[in-house]
Amino acid sequence: MDIRAQVSMVFHLDKCIGCHTCSIACKNIWTDRKGTEYMWWNNVETKPGTGYPTTWEDQDKYKGGWVKDGDRLRLRLQGRTEGLGNIFFNPNLPTIDDYYEPWTYQYDELFNAPEGDDQPTARPISLITGKPMDIEAGPNWDDDLGGSPIYASNDVNLEKLTEHEREQLNEVERLVFFYLPRICNHCLNPSCVAACPSGAIYKRGEDGIVLISQEKCRAWRMCVSGCPYKKTYYNWATGKSEKCILCYPRLETGQAPACFHSCVGRIRYLGLLLYDADRIQETALADEADLVMAQRRIIQDPFDPLVIHAAKANGITDQQIAAAQNSPSYKFVKKWGIALPLHPEFRTLPMLFYVPPMLPVLGKMKDGIYDSSAVEGMGQMLNSLEKARIPVRYMASLFSAGNEEIIREVYRKNIAVRLFKRAQRVKDISAAEAQEALEIGKTTAEEAEAIFNLTSLPTMEERFVIPAFAREEAIEQSLDPYTHKPAAGFGYREAPARRW
Amino acid sequence: MTGDQSSGHCKRRHFLRIAFRRVPLAYVVAAAAFAMIPAYVTGAAQADQGSTVFATKCAACHTIGKGKSVGPDLKGITTTEDPGWLARWIAAPSALVKAGDPTAMRLVKQYPLQMPDLGLSSGDVDAVLAYVAQQSGSARAHVKGPLAPVAAPPPGDAGVGRELFVGGARFHNGGPPCMSCHSISGIGALGGGTLGPDLTDAYRKYGGDAGLASFLTSVPTPTMSAVWSKQPMTPQEIANLTGFVKEGAVSERPLGAIGKLALLAVIALVIIVLIGALYWRRRLLGVRIPLVARANMLFNRKYARRS
Ligand code: SF4
Ligand code: SF4
Repeated sequence: MDIRAQVSMVFHLDKCIGCHTCSIACKNIWTDRKGTEYMWWNNVETKPGTGYPTTWEDQDKYKGGWVKDGDRLRLRLQGRTEGLGNIFFNPNLPTIDDYYEPWTYQYDELFNAPEGDDQPTARPISLITGKPMDIEAGPNWDDDLGGSPIYASNDVNLEKLTEHEREQLNEVERLVFFYLPRICNHCLNPSCVAACPSGAIYKRGEDGIVLISQEKCRAWRMCVSGCPYKKTYYNWATGKSEKCILCYPRLETGQAPACFHSCVGRIRYLGLLLYDADRIQETALADEADLVMAQRRIIQDPFDPLVIHAAKANGITDQQIAAAQNSPSYKFVKKWGIALPLHPEFRTLPMLFYVPPMLPVLGKMKDGIYDSSAVEGMGQMLNSLEKARIPVRYMASLFSAGNEEIIREVYRKNIAVRLFKRAQRVKDISAAEAQEALEIGKTTAEEAEAIFNLTSLPTMEERFVIPAFAREEAIEQSLDPYTHKPAAGFGYREAPARRW
Repeated sequence: MTGDQSSGHCKRRHFLRIAFRRVPLAYVVAAAAFAMIPAYVTGAAQADQGSTVFATKCAACHTIGKGKSVGPDLKGITTTEDPGWLARWIAAPSALVKAGDPTAMRLVKQYPLQMPDLGLSSGDVDAVLAYVAQQSGSARAHVKGPLAPVAAPPPGDAGVGRELFVGGARFHNGGPPCMSCHSISGIGALGGGTLGPDLTDAYRKYGGDAGLASFLTSVPTPTMSAVWSKQPMTPQEIANLTGFVKEGAVSERPLGAIGKLALLAVIALVIIVLIGALYWRRRLLGVRIPLVARANMLFNRKYARRS
């Protein structure tokens, strides 16, 4: 047993209101520099939709992640020889147009334009060429199903649906969407790290945050192709790749990352997980249907004395163990089992988990008026899975590598919590019915209460359980902490120069 | 032509030091010269040493009283030219050429080959001058053994010479094929190496059979002597090569060859570019633009059908 600590995240999609506050918080802190204008380390996508960059989930095109090859894992991108052949000419990159061409506006013309008959306008100016441009796309161009015949209907996950199911999604009365905020998953088995020919990407030992060294990066951009989530980006001004750093300078000082801190819907949770690093390979090699369960299995019980002992032997501090015991991620992912990894079939073992959104059921129209009574009653609620406007299969394609049973389980439990609370508060459901729902959802009154509390009424301290990172201990083998402290930060110590 | 040669020469100067260090013969001569100076101060003794130097270093291109070869006939040169100038010229011709010395420039213009820097010590220079003076005095006085390599060369086979030149046959004593440093017309479109001069016109420049044979026997240039002094060519090989070089002088360099080569290069380039384009064809194929185009096309088709 090789117990390590991982900062892990949970996004509760039922609560996301699609306000993009998280993206803006991130942009203002990290990516408003030259060369990073097009990057959104945090972005919020509408599902169904093609996302950012366009159809990033399509690995036939982008070649991200791992493929199971017998009892071995292999990068989908390339082997060593192919990597050498492609090293000066990486063929699997998104173009700037697949992200979008970033722009600003000529605001000063609003004030400085000479007097005339027409209102002055602020023309859009490309942040890449500096010339006026026509805006054709943006990072959330298909927000709220905008342009859905183009974008939403090309969602890669729809391929798993039948023709009939797909048509239904386009019916006016059935149109439905939800938001999917995305950051780097700080994977346990990151393919960005494996794809880098320079060895510039590393996973921090003490917290599992995945970082790109701005000194070692040599601009091969294999990580951009290698990451199936397209969460590393190439900075064309510095010639280095960059990615979400999980605001580690904030974490190290006890603050939640900016996107977590600013989240309006309070959908974001962050806490430590203890996992067994010896089992990473076995987990990443699990059968497709078993991937989610395997990922739950690799996460260890922080109350188990054996695990605690092994953790201490690996230098994990008492504070970190206490944080892991208190971790909202541990509860959502392992204890309650209602948070799922995004696209586990990429086999990078992502450490960002999503509680899937409740699926709105199809209402009935009575004389042109929406009839809410049609969805009343427990039976209706539990049956709603079959009537959901987004098919379970779609959710399974997103969150369980196609295993629909896992999705059903999660939904049954979430519905049970709702019915349980409804019986308590609204009292239009009998206690017996609520009890039955709990049984169907394989949960108990206590657990339902706990889920409800952490979902709806959590305090800041419950959402973000951030231990002291003991960074000084982590670095002291290689660097005097007093030397490190005033010298650390984002960026490079030497200006990057091209040397031929 | 002259400019070419002097620049080639500058390059070769670089080899000089190395060549000098590597060639024991040069060492022996230089050391012997130094050792001899205090002991034999008389002209005769010097001339004796000079004969050795002349045979190994000068005879390939010069005669004393036997007429012009690659270089001028040296008979009486010690009386017609300023001895100081002569000494400087023999010691380092390239230095004088570089300095733009008028006599040196005239020589360079007049003769096909610029005299190479031979790496002679001042003792050698004095000795060889003494020897030339002595030989000039008695025009009939004949020179000792090695001085006459031209004596009845065996008849050469140009075909075998060609094989030796292009490396199809080995030199008996080892040594690289000529083609590794030289080019000549008549060995195909790609030609040979460019370290040494092109030998198409060498037969005329080096004074025909006798001149070439003596050049190849004594290999006076520093670069060549570094290569050949320890593994000399046999007289038969020299004759064969001379035969081939002689033919080379008359055989036309096929004009079409250059065109053919250029054509081959263009075809190869096109093939490489095509393979690259095929192999990397997926790169820079955007996703979004085709997506939008396809959706628009479908929409238009549907709309057109309905209306
Ligand atoms: S999500 Fe993050 S850690 Fe995982 S492969 Fe992509 S960049 Fe690497
Ligand atoms: S800030 Fe929170 S609620 Fe708003 S889009 Fe981001 S994740 Fe969703």
